[in-house]
Amino acid sequence: MHIENNYPHHTFYDEAISAEETPRKASKDLFKHLNNMGLDELKERQKTAEKTIAQMGISFTVYSDKGNIDRLWPFDLIPRTIEASEWKQVTLGLKQRLKALNLFIEDIYNEQKILKDKIIPEEVVLTSKDYRPESRGMKLKHQSWACICGSDLVRNDDGKFYVLEDNLRVPSGVSYMLENRSVSKQVMPEAFQDINIQPMHQYTYELLKMLGSISPNDTENPEVVVLTPGIFNSAYYEHAYLAHEMGVELVEGSDLIVDDNDCVYMRNIDGLQKVDVIYRRIDDAFLDPEVFREDSTLGVPGLMRAWRAGNVGIANAPGCGVADDKVLYAYVPDIIRYYLNEEPLISNVPTYECSKEEDYQYVLQNLSKLVIKPANESGGYGLLIGPKASQEELDTFSKLIQENPRNYVAQPTLNISTVPTLCESLEPRHVDLRPFILHGEKSYVTAGGLTRVALVKGSLVVNSSQGGGSKDTWIIELEDK
Amino acid sequence: MLSRVAERLYWLARYIERIENTARLAQVHSQLMLDMPKSVKLSWHTLIEITNNEDFFDEHYDAKTEKNCCWALLGDRDNSASLMSSLWWARENVRTTRDTLPRETWIYINELYLLVNEKQEDFYVRSKRNTLLEQIIRSCQAIAGMLDGTMSLNTTFQFLQLGTAIERADMTSRLLDVGAFFVAQETEAQEIKQFESILWANILKSVSAYFMYRQAVHMDINGKSVIRYLVNDPALFRSIKHCATMMQTQVNTLPNTLEINESISELQALIEKKIPFELGSPVLHNYLDDVQMQLSKVHNQFYSTWFHPSISQETMQQQSQ
Repeated sequence: MHIENNYPHHTFYDEAISAEETPRKASKDLFKHLNNMGLDELKERQKTAEKTIAQMGISFTVYSDKGNIDRLWPFDLIPRTIEASEWKQVTLGLKQRLKALNLFIEDIYNEQKILKDKIIPEEVVLTSKDYRPESRGMKLKHQSWACICGSDLVRNDDGKFYVLEDNLRVPSGVSYMLENRSVSKQVMPEAFQDINIQPMHQYTYELLKMLGSISPNDTENPEVVVLTPGIFNSAYYEHAYLAHEMGVELVEGSDLIVDDNDCVYMRNIDGLQKVDVIYRRIDDAFLDPEVFREDSTLGVPGLMRAWRAGNVGIANAPGCGVADDKVLYAYVPDIIRYYLNEEPLISNVPTYECSKEEDYQYVLQNLSKLVIKPANESGGYGLLIGPKASQEELDTFSKLIQENPRNYVAQPTLNISTVPTLCESLEPRHVDLRPFILHGEKSYVTAGGLTRVALVKGSLVVNSSQGGGSKDTWIIELEDK
Repeated sequence: MLSRVAERLYWLARYIERIENTARLAQVHSQLMLDMPKSVKLSWHTLIEITNNEDFFDEHYDAKTEKNCCWALLGDRDNSASLMSSLWWARENVRTTRDTLPRETWIYINELYLLVNEKQEDFYVRSKRNTLLEQIIRSCQAIAGMLDGTMSLNTTFQFLQLGTAIERADMTSRLLDVGAFFVAQETEAQEIKQFESILWANILKSVSAYFMYRQAVHMDINGKSVIRYLVNDPALFRSIKHCATMMQTQVNTLPNTLEINESISELQALIEKKIPFELGSPVLHNYLDDVQMQLSKVHNQFYSTWFHPSISQETMQQQSQ
């Protein structure tokens, strides 16, 4: 009796088990291991994994009315597998996309050719909440505006990957991707011995190399720092993790000062030390109280001056969120064609813009079939999933859209793929995938990414703040047999 | 090294030292309670007094019961000086300086935190309290040993040493003050006399110096000699003198230390002085007060030199109490 024989039938694309109820190519060896262990052993190992996570203190913070709660990172033992040859194609598509988006951002803050050529309506860009006039006129080394991108991919029932959104502002999750790998190596060492799984821990070296490459100063060893809002931020764990792995300082706003010559320094016990590159994990709005929110105590007064003077590199650059707007998303295929003269290698999900008259009518009439997204929220907040919504929720969104059409986009509900997940037995649960893409002097894509899984049966919401979990992602090199 | 990181490392070491000392203090105190005659005014509340928690206690508790006193000192998260608060802060400080410390530091501290958090109800129960305190002490020793065994002599280690040394010296002076409290009791001097050796033996135990004292000082245990031993024995790691030397060693290789060096020299001069000791008089207490003041001066100079060079002293002591 094989584990996969009990796997429930359903109509979605499953990442591991094909319609014929046998493991797909990339999952064959994995299932050999799972069957060797058996369900009881798997459950034991799941417990070991959870204990390891508690011991390593891998946690994330949930904001709630009752204050902030530190929760242990939810992890499911059964990995998601992808064939290396398929991943290579995805990688090319992601690099292509980020390259085009960076050219777009540089254009928007300079000549605005794409607007003049009427590829994108001006108001879509200039009314975006993340358009920053303060960044106008800036030209960056390697056009590295969005240096670190965490794109959300989903696989639809046609078996194809789609980009759901581009996270260009301060994407998070990469430390969890790496920790998932550490945990799964600890609890399933045999599998790593037998299966060709691409390693992923070189990410932090690649990140440091990329950050060094955007330094505007001609120093041999650029001083790189990670700027965090502090311990109360939900991603603090990740900020500390990345700084540690790169061997650079983790700083808070109050550790940095900008002097009259527009140079950035950090406060050390023996005085001030010059900083060349800042990997900031703070939103634009809090970055510099001289320019943006005056009440920000997280930022560094004068940072924008220093950046504009070309004395410090900031990753991601202020204002790059303009390309990470859910309305603009609809135009990314056009952006790729315009700047690169290439066809997009990864598809977009069809997107209706509520600000367009014909789309507006369609959306209002078909609310119950669509997913409605606010143009500028992250973390799965303020989302409406039409087929699952109550009449009351549908009415609320109908009103919201009519009040402010620019603020909403709609997409058809996708039948996103599932992965076997350890419950009482193995059951299918929906997943997405967030790979991380670096763009500096060179481009780099992680081997796999963070697979997030909706642990609740039938649920499509994968966010950890809302009952989502995660899995290790294995990119598998198949051996010729 | 970042000023902020230096500050947190310094406090991390202080908290670890403080957790161990507080646990030991509570443990020894409950032993002492069993030995002392009823007429000696020794209560659970003495613990609150030694640790300077009277104001907090008066504000938050009614009766000076064993349960209340133990909870205020050990488990109460609202008391910024409780063992649990120190542990919480120690853990936060590791979390924010993780990148400068051996990986085990986080694992050990986190483990201890999870343990105490799970068992904190045991602080209420006399029969279980000691077991938990024992575990806490052992964990703190493991952490200190791990750091000694895995670090190199770098700036991180130096700030940890400074924190350990100053907290240890401060705690030793406070514990001696318990002795001073009894010495100063005029009316009951006669009655205390017969319990004197038990009292001072317990003070030695609470800084885990009993064994070393026995080996080094071959005579009966009395106030004068215990005080001398704990204040200026050069060989005892927990003596105030040794703590001062430890600080000076580290300070010598850190930047901008002219002022701090002077203050440490003053502290050393104070330690070398003949310690006043007189039954029925507060002179010992006053002397220990001077020592604590001098420690506090050194602490403030750490701030003005390394942690917050240009910011006024009131705003900067968010972590101290």
